[in-house]
Amino acid sequence: MTAAVGRTWSRLTLAGRAVFIGVPILVALLVPLVLVITLFGGTIVDVLAANLPIVRFAVAATAVLLMSVPTAFVIIYMEMKVIALMNLRLGPDRVGPWGTLLSVVHGLKVLVKEDFTPTGVDSTVFTWAPVVVYLASVMSLLVIPFAPGLFGQDLNLGLLYFFAIGGLSVVGLLMAGWSSFNKYSLLGGLRSAAQVVSYEIPLTLSVVGLILLAGTMSLNQIVLMQSGSFLDWNVFRQPLGALIFFIAATAEANRTPFDLTEADSEIVAGFATEYSGMRFGFFFFAEYVNVFIISALTVTLFFGGWTAPFDWPWPVHAAIDPGSLGIGLLIALAVVPVIGTLVLAAPFWIARSSMPWWQAIVIGFVLFNLLVIVAVAGWAFISLDWVAGLFWFLAKTYGFVFTFVWMRGTLPRVRIDQLMAFAWKWLLPASLLNLFVTAAAIVVVGR
Amino acid sequence: MTTAQHPGSHASADDPRVTLDEQIGVFEPIPPYPPRTEREAEFYTLGDGEMFINIGPQHPSTHGVLRVVLKIRGEQVVDLDPVLGYLHRGVEKLCENADYHQAICYTDPLEYVSSLFMEWAPVIAFEKLLDVQVPRRAEYIRVLTGELNRVMSHIMFVGWMALDLGGLTPILWGFIERDEIVEMLAGVTGQRMLFNYYRIGGVNGDLNHDFMSRLGRWMSHATSQLEAELALLNENEIFVRRMRGLGVVDSETALRMCLSGPNLRATGVPFDVRRAHPYSVYPELDFDVVTRAEGDCLARYLLRMDEIRQSIRIIDQCLHEMPDGPVIAKLPRLLRPRPGRAYAAVEGPRGQYATYAISDGTDQPFRMRIHDPSFVNLQTVGLVMPGNLVADTMAVMASLDPIMGGVDK
Amino acid sequence: MDRALRRRLDGRFSDVLTGPIRQRHDETEMRIGPADVAQVMRALHDEPEFRFKFLADLCGVDTGRVMQVVYHVGSDTSPDWIRVIADGLPRDDPRVPSVTFLWKGAEWQEREAYDMFGIIFEGNRDLRRIYMPPDYTSFPLRKDFFLADDASRSPAMGVRHLEQVHAPRNAAPDDVVRQATSS
Repeated sequence: MTAAVGRTWSRLTLAGRAVFIGVPILVALLVPLVLVITLFGGTIVDVLAANLPIVRFAVAATAVLLMSVPTAFVIIYMEMKVIALMNLRLGPDRVGPWGTLLSVVHGLKVLVKEDFTPTGVDSTVFTWAPVVVYLASVMSLLVIPFAPGLFGQDLNLGLLYFFAIGGLSVVGLLMAGWSSFNKYSLLGGLRSAAQVVSYEIPLTLSVVGLILLAGTMSLNQIVLMQSGSFLDWNVFRQPLGALIFFIAATAEANRTPFDLTEADSEIVAGFATEYSGMRFGFFFFAEYVNVFIISALTVTLFFGGWTAPFDWPWPVHAAIDPGSLGIGLLIALAVVPVIGTLVLAAPFWIARSSMPWWQAIVIGFVLFNLLVIVAVAGWAFISLDWVAGLFWFLAKTYGFVFTFVWMRGTLPRVRIDQLMAFAWKWLLPASLLNLFVTAAAIVVVGR
Repeated sequence: MTTAQHPGSHASADDPRVTLDEQIGVFEPIPPYPPRTEREAEFYTLGDGEMFINIGPQHPSTHGVLRVVLKIRGEQVVDLDPVLGYLHRGVEKLCENADYHQAICYTDPLEYVSSLFMEWAPVIAFEKLLDVQVPRRAEYIRVLTGELNRVMSHIMFVGWMALDLGGLTPILWGFIERDEIVEMLAGVTGQRMLFNYYRIGGVNGDLNHDFMSRLGRWMSHATSQLEAELALLNENEIFVRRMRGLGVVDSETALRMCLSGPNLRATGVPFDVRRAHPYSVYPELDFDVVTRAEGDCLARYLLRMDEIRQSIRIIDQCLHEMPDGPVIAKLPRLLRPRPGRAYAAVEGPRGQYATYAISDGTDQPFRMRIHDPSFVNLQTVGLVMPGNLVADTMAVMASLDPIMGGVDK
Repeated sequence: MDRALRRRLDGRFSDVLTGPIRQRHDETEMRIGPADVAQVMRALHDEPEFRFKFLADLCGVDTGRVMQVVYHVGSDTSPDWIRVIADGLPRDDPRVPSVTFLWKGAEWQEREAYDMFGIIFEGNRDLRRIYMPPDYTSFPLRKDFFLADDASRSPAMGVRHLEQVHAPRNAAPDDVVRQATSS
């Protein structure tokens, strides 16, 4: 009996084995699922509906976690490519078109590397430190309004939540530095503690003037307050506050020229010296997520968030009612792609006699698809608020991300004493001045 | 091939045949033997709140395999002890076992950034031993290629210095400039890095068309391009603030520390071997010995930039005044100088490169002493660092511009 | 060749010179005994007619019979290098006064000469090996040093040779432990 089973098994192909194992498992899972849904489906839906905020939170947290890694990939690629161009190098150009997939490969590389725990480290703290750092970054994304209606949670204390959660990352860095049993790590951790705590104060004070103006700490309200043209942006009401916020946020995110915590020419990699594999990857991604977050927050607070910088001068109405076409819709769906492909393929086929007809048709098909994508995106931009909002938000945010990358390519690093002196002697008085001037103006002029 | 288990130890994870103590993961900078000198005893005794941090031999910013043990209190450096020898190859001993031509090949890789100077000094020393008259065209070619090498070395200095301060861009811009010079030197010497071009009595091969056309193209844009690139650092507030007033050495101390080259001139001492003890055709060439009074890292940096301009001036004169003629004197293949001693020094981008050669009448040098400026200059780190911050260690070391190949010989 | 310098040196140091002053190319060479080094170097460094403030080089030489320490100094008073040779150090116990009291930068060069020749510089505060491992026993640049033998005999405390991961066949366990732990 067993011999017969073994012989049969050995004759199966790989796919056959997968089906042989997979189908019973699927059946075993599906049957109870169907039973549960038919018996308790109504109850489950009721429970979920009754606890909508919790469901919303869970979905938002998952979505934010899922989007954080691709965001980091984009920024990593941007940093590699932009700095390369500033250095008069080519940068990544092998993996994917123009090297765009290289950061993904970096991510995979980090995943498959050995996750090494050195002798002598405090292994619990050592293991949890990257988690704390990464979660602190990702959780800050929850309150950022990406577009009208597209945000994790609209807290009234959104800004306060942001500073509270953002401040948690220093705990993670300190944990990493302390537990690594390495003096470079220790120095890096302590540097980050000193730096982040010092810059937290001007960072928070610089937005207090803005809060006074807006009368709210909800990021959504702050964005709505700036709607209109770009002249309504807070950067024109709070220029000093915006400047201080930007500088202090750079220091908060440990970016050049304030990247002393991982100053590679001094303390190797700072708190991350002993980390490898995915645990290092968490630090690595957290850094780039942080860049995104501070850019996003700068945009939200001072540069109008998702509001468009100017009104579209010509009102466009893209209200297409597909139903009015009747049977024509079906015919159009069937005919237009074919005609479009052929029309776009024709010039290539005519212009290059050496090209086989099928290649021309492939090119035409790809071009037609691109055209359709552009058309659909344009339609969505015009008729869907959140698409337009997301577009403007991401455009502005990546503008700031570019600024951070630019700074990294240009500036050397400051020294620790200069860093602290700058925070306490310049940024803090300046942010207090900004606060007093704003308060006085509100008292004298009114909002 | 198994060894008995030592009590309190276990087999290594890497190789079960090696037994290890539990403490294998811990690197103690304190050496495992009693102190040999008072200074060592003093250094390796920790005061209150102090700790050692070990920078190198593998570290991103030690310019090679230098190990520096820092004694720090917080971020402040209390004292430091450079540990050398990780790159020691015993070149002096090798040279004693090689004949005069081969010895030049050994000195060449010591200074892998400005290797022409490292071969220039022994070549002059051997010529003094042999009383050879070098053809004038060869001398001009030496000066021309040497000054090109100086420019290249100083450009690399800027890049390394910026890199040690956290600036990513200048080193890559510097490499582009360096590559142009390296390519043209490769066109005439045949190699890109260790040129091995100077020979006893002249140079190995005349200038060729490849070299001259590349040189002409480079000279046409060298000055303007360098100025444009240096603006990234010279006009950078962060850079200037970090360098100014850091690692100050006054002229008395500089002489006491045996500094030479740009590091000495940055303290205000106008000592340049090219003028003080002239060699080659430098007496006929017109250039200034630039000095600066401040003696800090910024002065050392700016002085090197001035030297680049002077070097371009010298190259220009060489091109105009280069005579025709042979490029190497007629010498026998096997050189047997009469017994004697000769000392030759040349002014390199890091200071005074020198060779002291003793001949005993055979075809091998009896003793060949190689003096490298990086080795001597590096001591100054220990003098100026106490009281500064950890981050400044890299800045000061970079401003002294040591090349570990030369330091460790 | 700076004849005037030769006359000045002859006049000033006639009592300590152990040989004639020689001049060749741009070098002026004088020989003194090891005991007079401090005095001569101080005179060359301090006296206004010499002002040899620049120590160009310091090195040891093993002639096979005796040891020498050779100093090269430069000055703005003369276009010549002066070569001061402290001659006649016995090979079994070469001792010479240190010049670190004049040139602190001579410290490493003296350490190097000690490391390579075993010359003891009395007064150098930090006279330990600089290139070779601390427990190295021989002096590589001496004329009686033969490369492979001495180098392979040294246990090299503090340095684990890459090729020496495994214990030597006849090593005691203690040796192995020490080599592994001090890496």
